[in-house]
Amino acid sequence: MRAGEAGRALLLLAVLAGLLLPWLTVAPNRLLPGTATNGFSGLGWAAAAALAALALAVPRRVPAWLGAAAGLGGVALLLVATGWAAADSLEGLASAARAGLGGGFWLGLVAGAALVVARGAALPGPGRAALAAVALAALWLPWQAGSFESLSLVVEYRARQAAVHAALLRHLMLAGAALALALLLAVPLAWAGFRRPGAAGPVGATLGAVQVVPAIALFAALIPLLAGLLALLPALRGLGLGAIGPAPAVLATAGYLALPLWRSVLGGLAAADPAAVAAARAMGMTEGGITREVRLPLALPVFAGGLRVAVVQAIGLVTLGGLVGAGGLGALVFEGLSQFATDLMLLGALPIMALALAADALIRLLEHRLGASA
Amino acid sequence: MMALLLAAGLALVALLPGWFGGFPPGRLLGLAASHAGLALAGVVPAALLGLALGVLVTRPSGRALRPAADALAAAAQAVPPVVAVALAVPAFGFGWGPTILALLLYGIMPVLRATVAALEAVPPEARLAALALGYTPAGALREVELPLAWPLVLDGLRVALVLAVATAAVGALAGAATLGTPIVLGLQNQNQLLVLQGAAATAALAFAAEGLLLALAGYGAGRGRRSSASPASSDGTAQSRKP
Repeated sequence: MRAGEAGRALLLLAVLAGLLLPWLTVAPNRLLPGTATNGFSGLGWAAAAALAALALAVPRRVPAWLGAAAGLGGVALLLVATGWAAADSLEGLASAARAGLGGGFWLGLVAGAALVVARGAALPGPGRAALAAVALAALWLPWQAGSFESLSLVVEYRARQAAVHAALLRHLMLAGAALALALLLAVPLAWAGFRRPGAAGPVGATLGAVQVVPAIALFAALIPLLAGLLALLPALRGLGLGAIGPAPAVLATAGYLALPLWRSVLGGLAAADPAAVAAARAMGMTEGGITREVRLPLALPVFAGGLRVAVVQAIGLVTLGGLVGAGGLGALVFEGLSQFATDLMLLGALPIMALALAADALIRLLEHRLGASA
Repeated sequence: MMALLLAAGLALVALLPGWFGGFPPGRLLGLAASHAGLALAGVVPAALLGLALGVLVTRPSGRALRPAADALAAAAQAVPPVVAVALAVPAFGFGWGPTILALLLYGIMPVLRATVAALEAVPPEARLAALALGYTPAGALREVELPLAWPLVLDGLRVALVLAVATAAVGALAGAATLGTPIVLGLQNQNQLLVLQGAAATAALAFAAEGLLLALAGYGAGRGRRSSASPASSDGTAQSRKP
């Protein structure tokens, strides 16, 4: 299978998703299931134009920048036209009526976006940055113009704007706190393990055993355990520690992050060529100087790799904090799940995925920079 | 061995409160059976798919698909299991459907990544030598590349299995009857005994799964050493010393 064929498969996927799966569903309110308006029928000419633009992104003969731009235009057109079609479909209905996005829309969107990313990946660095900027603008301008306001997801967001923003902030704070706690644990342990290799084995075994425990079990088990601890030492309550709330979420998440961080710090410190270290010592460098000048620069790219894994995991794992009263975007997901309100669930889930993907991409960039300079 | 001991200890913690007013042990065992069944139903096809895809993208004919597979693996890692289960609910309704989908997603990626990394770590000389000896490409893959790659692939399988047990627990949120069910029940009713029982039982099952897989691998590696003394099998026993 050639790369061009993968592009063709993605285009075919977008077309089939639009033709066979529900694109928009119109429901009497936010909870009832709606009736699907099938395929591209609601989009009219815009669907044909968008698919033509996407088709232009497929052939290898088309230069990468043109293909990526055409694909991006196609995806943006699909989005805007879907917003318009949603507004049309709600014409004359009660104000509680909602126009929800169907499975066909999501599949088509993912296929189109994958096509753009595949073409954009061939561009040089500045080209990719420009493509990302254009993509953001292509979302931002219609958003400002109100093209998406009829979509059920946006209506739900408008109704809960303050709660979503607070949850996003809290999610980031919980993830940050867990990462900080895990670093406090992992870096000294890794340093000790580097100095005394005998200590590394048991530490690795313990941290590895934590990974085996299912996350939902560890989050949940921390509630009775913390409650028992607080009953023994009531003074801890004065420090703001509670059996329910942020404490179990941060502790449990930090427990999972410790292994990738510990492993990457240890691996990074050991990355320096023993010959280079010996040469530095022979030149009269002190042990501290060797660590600063020789080991750290070589360790940073390895450490950035571990940090990337840890950050992505932190953003994902903190979601379960919604179950133990810590709040965050997970609370929105679980509230939506218990109400069977798809849009509310998506309001929690989409930012989590966006945050995780953005963090992954940013730290990957940092990794390449560090790797190139080391 | 450590993992199996931990599993036995945690199982005791999970079952004992049943005789003192907690979740009844009989039902807990039933949930454990359906939990294990659900995890296996998801992870076995996922592992086979991951292996097949991993082999495909490392063949000369499938190499062009490699960037797509990498991007997919990164994207799948960015979606936490809870979110995958939640997103699948609108499409499949409550029950086993969303969990099976999430299990497939999470099972494929670690196996695919491990298979690709393992096959790429096989020295090209080994493959060329096999081809020069008259092996067909498929024969070289089966007799030379896969045995050399096996320890790393096995690590991917282990990760997939542990993830499957964890994800099946999350499935309780979407209405699947698993060991996550007592956890969710306990959280909803502020019953910490139920939470502790469910958590201990889930962790016990995860350790048992890991321990059994590693024991199986150690047994296989031991047999492999007797027959062919490949470098792969000595790594395989090193793996089994992990918890």
